[in-house]
Amino acid sequence: MRYLLLFTAGFFVLCPRAVYAKVRVFACEPEWAALAEEIGGDQVSVFTATSARQDPHYIRAKPSLIAQIRKSDLVIGSGASLEVGWLPVLLRKAGNSRITPGNTGFFMTSEILPLLEKTGASDRSHGDVHPDGNPHVHLDPSNISLVADELVERFVLIDSENQAYFRNRHADFSRRWSAAKARWNDLVGSLRNKKVVVHHASFSYLENWLGLSRIATLEPKPGLPPTTTHLEYLLTILRKHPAAVILRTPYNPDKGSVWLSAKTGIPALELPYTVGGNEHCQDLFSLFDHTLELLQGMTDVK
Amino acid sequence: MNSVCKSIVVSTIIIFAGLAATGEEYNSSDAVLRHEIKQLKDLILGIQEESVRDTERLQQEIETLRNGYESQISELNQKITRIEAGKSSTGESVGIAKTSRKIRDNSFNPSIGVILNGTFSDYSEKDSEMFGFGIGEEGERGREGLAIDESEINFSANIDDKFYGSVTAAIVREEGSDIVELEEAYIQTLPDFGLPGGFTLKAGRAFWTLGYLNEHHTHGDDFADRPLPYRAYLNKSFNDDGIEVSYVLPTGFYTEIGGGAFRGEDFPVGDPTGSSPQSYSAFFRVGGDLGDNHSWRLGGYWLGANANERGSNEDTVTFSGESDLYGADFKYIWAPTGNANESEVILQTEYFQRDEDGVYDDTNVGTGPVAFDDSTSGWYAQSVYKFHPQWRVGIRYSELQSADTPVGLVGSALDAAGYDPHSLSVMIDWTNSEFSRLRLQYSHDELSRGGEDDQLILQYIVSLGAHGAHKF
Repeated sequence: MRYLLLFTAGFFVLCPRAVYAKVRVFACEPEWAALAEEIGGDQVSVFTATSARQDPHYIRAKPSLIAQIRKSDLVIGSGASLEVGWLPVLLRKAGNSRITPGNTGFFMTSEILPLLEKTGASDRSHGDVHPDGNPHVHLDPSNISLVADELVERFVLIDSENQAYFRNRHADFSRRWSAAKARWNDLVGSLRNKKVVVHHASFSYLENWLGLSRIATLEPKPGLPPTTTHLEYLLTILRKHPAAVILRTPYNPDKGSVWLSAKTGIPALELPYTVGGNEHCQDLFSLFDHTLELLQGMTDVK
Repeated sequence: MNSVCKSIVVSTIIIFAGLAATGEEYNSSDAVLRHEIKQLKDLILGIQEESVRDTERLQQEIETLRNGYESQISELNQKITRIEAGKSSTGESVGIAKTSRKIRDNSFNPSIGVILNGTFSDYSEKDSEMFGFGIGEEGERGREGLAIDESEINFSANIDDKFYGSVTAAIVREEGSDIVELEEAYIQTLPDFGLPGGFTLKAGRAFWTLGYLNEHHTHGDDFADRPLPYRAYLNKSFNDDGIEVSYVLPTGFYTEIGGGAFRGEDFPVGDPTGSSPQSYSAFFRVGGDLGDNHSWRLGGYWLGANANERGSNEDTVTFSGESDLYGADFKYIWAPTGNANESEVILQTEYFQRDEDGVYDDTNVGTGPVAFDDSTSGWYAQSVYKFHPQWRVGIRYSELQSADTPVGLVGSALDAAGYDPHSLSVMIDWTNSEFSRLRLQYSHDELSRGGEDDQLILQYIVSLGAHGAHKF
């Protein structure tokens, strides 16, 4: 018994040392993992809770996630009730005071960004609505900049010893990002006012940035899978008012958009949506590069 | 409209003027006629000028209105820009205090969730008896016909920086009246309480950590009723008053250990005496992922009880003595690319063994106190396959292994006569959204020798309010 007590005591004294070597980041979505790596570099170790092929709303509070969040120094996610089904469960289970809401280690990016599509008070006959606004915030490069600016401050607060390192990396990232933004803004003029159909409102910030005009969603209500009736209805609409492209994410099933595309001749396009969404998108830069490339290729044909 | 009226008036006057001119040709002098025509012409010109002036005035008014609107719109635009600029400037500044940090529906009021739940059940057997185990009231078969099941109301919120609180009341039909059953009422420490990392303390009444299903409310189950071991050993679920501590180890691999102490009033314990807890528990759990597609969890559990007059079979059977329940559970989920929203397969199994050393008494038969020192066991295995985002099918088999009947209990409710009750269920359910589900279940129960019960259950489960948790 005495040995057990000694062992346990040693465990508590020694373990935190090992944990604090690098800033451990628990990223709810791949885009925030990529950003944390851009700014944190070698001084952070990043765990990504979801992949590009998973719908970040429908995640189970899995054992592996509990183990990871238990050890993390910073949780970064989108917020605006995107992770409402699983993140609160993980936080309550983990007993980790570094990452409780209100602390430096809890960063929901939607809280510092201007949100689109705020529904305010609503009821669920409108589907699984997000009253705080649309949580799929990352597909606007300006939002990435704002999050980067806040993230570096969080890193500095958590690990002040590496302040210079984080600030340098942030400055470098900001420079490259601004240059890329300028390049993208030059490219995207031709996309302005193009009409698009989307599976779910996952691209609202992209539409807003590029000036795309969304005329319909395949889901009859947010969170409800496309129904035959609704697709038939969209077909009649699209025959009268054709759109340039039908967009979906890698985690949306392709059935609805492929059917509608075959009936209308409007191309259906799977955008990468986030880092890892296809083999070309290994970081945030290539995510935006490739997304724009795909959109231009598709709309130039029209 | 005005100008149209005027045109009509003008034309009418011209026509009348013409008629007058022709009609009076013979009896009036030229001078008079010319004078009258001139007067008429002046009148017409006057009216025309007036209508032109009217039109101009109208145009001016429209212009003024338009200018007004345009200036108002541009003013609004400026305001919007200012507001957005203000917002993004708050966003860019570093101020942790400035953000709202809301992840729940309402920040100060508790989250409120309501579960409504109704069934239609049809059973081929009039009675459902199971011998050899001593079944509590909630472990019995549900009501036949149209019925509402437990209607639950839950409030939960962070109380302050140190505590989380949750209360769940179920309104249930028992013996012909609707009664309120307090299923859960507990507080739980938040990380800022100051316990070492990974520790959580929970106190009050709760569905304690024991096996897989016990922690969960029945409305989240994949089948319309609980499997046999839960009905026999836990009276559906163990939610005594008590306290539980759990510790998640700081390992890469999920490992959790914990234990609790309980008042000893809920099945399988009995009437508590004195102040010391009559029941204790201990558990461990491990789990993880295998690649993107597979996740699993395995657990081991013990619930020891010093049972005093534990009532069962409508209080005709009592047990006093030591009752130890050992359990193990395993859950495995396969989802292609880990995207459970589209399709998944869930395998779930639990095993329980109950060791009892005490005295049974069946007052119905008048056995008197009979010593009992033996063990029984029970298990179930189930699989659920989601083949469409809204549709799932499932199959479940559950079984109990009875003990040898002591001589004194032969012919009583505790005499299984070597028979092992078992049950097979299949179900299909349709989940419209995360908040509503309809289910059809068929079960074939053989709970006693010769008692074959075919059960058809149609069920709806809906939740209002707070967004439910996506449990593993």
